[in-house]
Amino acid sequence: MEFVVGILLLLSFFGLAYYCVKGHNLMIGFLLITIAWTVLSLLGANFATPEFLSTTAFYSNGEPVKIMVILNKIFQSAPEGWGTTLVNVCWGAWFGRVLMETGIASTLIRKTVELGGDKPIITIALLNIVTAIIFTAMTGAGPVIAIGVIVLPIMMSLGVPKAIAMFSFMESVAAGIYLNPVNFAQYRAFFIGVDEMPDFTLGWYAGRWGYAAVVISVVLATVLSAIFLKKSKTSHAWAAQTRGAEQKDAPIYTLLLPIVPVVLKIWLDFSVIGGFVIAGFAALFLCGKMKGTFKENCQLVNKLYYDGVVDTAPLVGFLLTLPMFNQVASYASPFFKVILGPVMPKSELVVCILFAVLLGLGLFRGPMTLVGCGAATLGVLRGVASFSIPFLYCVFAIPTITVNIGSCITQSWVAWGLAYTKVDSKDYLKLSIPFAYITGIILYILTFVCVGGLGAEWFI
Amino acid sequence: MTKEELKKAMQPIADGLFGKQRTSYGQMPHYTVRPVEMIVEDLCAIPEEEWAYYAFSREPLNGKFSDAERLELTKQAIACGRTYAEKLAAECGSRDPETLAAYLGLDVDYPEMPQNASRVLFAEFREPKTIHIFMDGVRKGEELFTQHGVNAFMGEGFALAKLLLGHEIFHFVEEKYRKEIWTRTYRIRLWNVGPVKNTSTVMVLGEIAAMAFAKALTGIRFSPYVLDAFLVYGYSPEAASGLYEEMMEKSGRTPRLPEA
Repeated sequence: MEFVVGILLLLSFFGLAYYCVKGHNLMIGFLLITIAWTVLSLLGANFATPEFLSTTAFYSNGEPVKIMVILNKIFQSAPEGWGTTLVNVCWGAWFGRVLMETGIASTLIRKTVELGGDKPIITIALLNIVTAIIFTAMTGAGPVIAIGVIVLPIMMSLGVPKAIAMFSFMESVAAGIYLNPVNFAQYRAFFIGVDEMPDFTLGWYAGRWGYAAVVISVVLATVLSAIFLKKSKTSHAWAAQTRGAEQKDAPIYTLLLPIVPVVLKIWLDFSVIGGFVIAGFAALFLCGKMKGTFKENCQLVNKLYYDGVVDTAPLVGFLLTLPMFNQVASYASPFFKVILGPVMPKSELVVCILFAVLLGLGLFRGPMTLVGCGAATLGVLRGVASFSIPFLYCVFAIPTITVNIGSCITQSWVAWGLAYTKVDSKDYLKLSIPFAYITGIILYILTFVCVGGLGAEWFI
Repeated sequence: MTKEELKKAMQPIADGLFGKQRTSYGQMPHYTVRPVEMIVEDLCAIPEEEWAYYAFSREPLNGKFSDAERLELTKQAIACGRTYAEKLAAECGSRDPETLAAYLGLDVDYPEMPQNASRVLFAEFREPKTIHIFMDGVRKGEELFTQHGVNAFMGEGFALAKLLLGHEIFHFVEEKYRKEIWTRTYRIRLWNVGPVKNTSTVMVLGEIAAMAFAKALTGIRFSPYVLDAFLVYGYSPEAASGLYEEMMEKSGRTPRLPEA
């Protein structure tokens, strides 16, 4: 019976992968698979022997866990537990809106361009660095679009072909996300609870792997842009850009504020939300946005919070469904183990090689990306073999960030960019897929060297 | 209940479960919509030099210039565009952009390319000698031209595609004469640290000169910058009205409101 349930679970996994690749609604997809896996796991447990179940999540302290406790864990405790991560997302989105409202983000971009001038590759390099820095703190589609409408026309006016401008910008956004504390908290929650493994902090992760991942991503995005640029022909387009909100330059000293929350978190392990509040209000005061009455100032702060939460809203439903799925995966894993145990990789080297080869499956919300069907792969992998949490985090961060967020046309802001610049999907993928593979392979080597072979304290 | 009615009733559920991911991209700012004649009438009355501030607002290095410098550079760019229009028209023996493009050996095509209102692409020059004129926008503009009587302000027999072609021809001319043409030889100093310095051309000067070049070739009475708002009107009258407001304000005028 365990074998039959294992086969049915595996088939449903492929069904979910197909559903995700077809671009259907992720929240509903994960809700349906959670229900299916709950039914199958409970069915399998009903027929399994006590010996088979005694070492699984169906038993606690040598006693079988009651069915209602299992169901409550899946459908109540799991999403509730993710609430602590959600508040980081909301405050990060507010901070992103503050940087846009105060003109700090746009001033940073304009000043950067004034350094580079008409030399496309120098300007691309500088913009990539600044974009990556900005997105270590900003979160969501709204800020990406707000910066994109500044950066993309600038690059195109310098004669950079639109596909290369798109590629360069989107990959720099993804590079910054490697160090973004909100994304770190969000992805960390896929692997462990908020209170588990307190040593696995953003500071530890950044020093061990994160800084190098950002630098490698920015350097490769710039080098590949230069190579693509060399091969392509300059273009000049006559295009009308609709009127955007005009902003004055923010004071020079405020341009450091975007990195304040990240620096405080990494340097002092200070609260991420505290960092957003300090840097956000400093930005509002120093840029003269709080000169109104107390009531007007409150309304401004409230409006920015509202807009920020709206920016992240499309993701929230999906992210609050995923914890249910992560929880049910722990009940499904004994049955997966029956089927996949003998063939799943158990060494870190093999995992790195396998994931590097299969990076392409991170595209189109496939089985490698955590913001797609990869959450199911993680459930399977964790169920059949034992790897350290930082290692698993990095293994899944690469296809999630570099492949899905930076290189895939299913990412919301990439889809926006294609419509805005009138770049064909295939033209974008021709640039982004080679980048995803080259960067991904180098990052897997980095992963094996820097977070491979960790001690017992990094295992759950 | 017929099969069709059942299908219709089930559609919202099917969309909820299997509908494609949709992301909202934020709201566009809202503007009072003006009739196209009002927009064209007011914008056609703006003298060529007074487009300086609107043109420079799209320049990446805009922050490096004072208003007086923007105006002066605009005048020089216009003179440059006119000079090359006369020079090439004399060489070719025709002022017709299509004839001139053929004379210069340019490959011109007319793809459709549907657009959206946030950024409307009219035409494109790709090195070494290819020009695309995107006809989706041109056709929408031509419909406005005949339907709303805007030709009273733009002039009879005005050919949108030829004006766009004239503009793009100038970018080819810039490449051809890049060592001597003013729009490429004029440079500003961005920064210097001791002996190390960085200078740059100013991209918008090429755009202003291209507008003057196209205007001189086609003999129109208004600045081709008017098309930024006029052609966008075909996609979104509201977005075009936003551009109209911006253009009027940047040229020191007060945008009109439609009569109630």
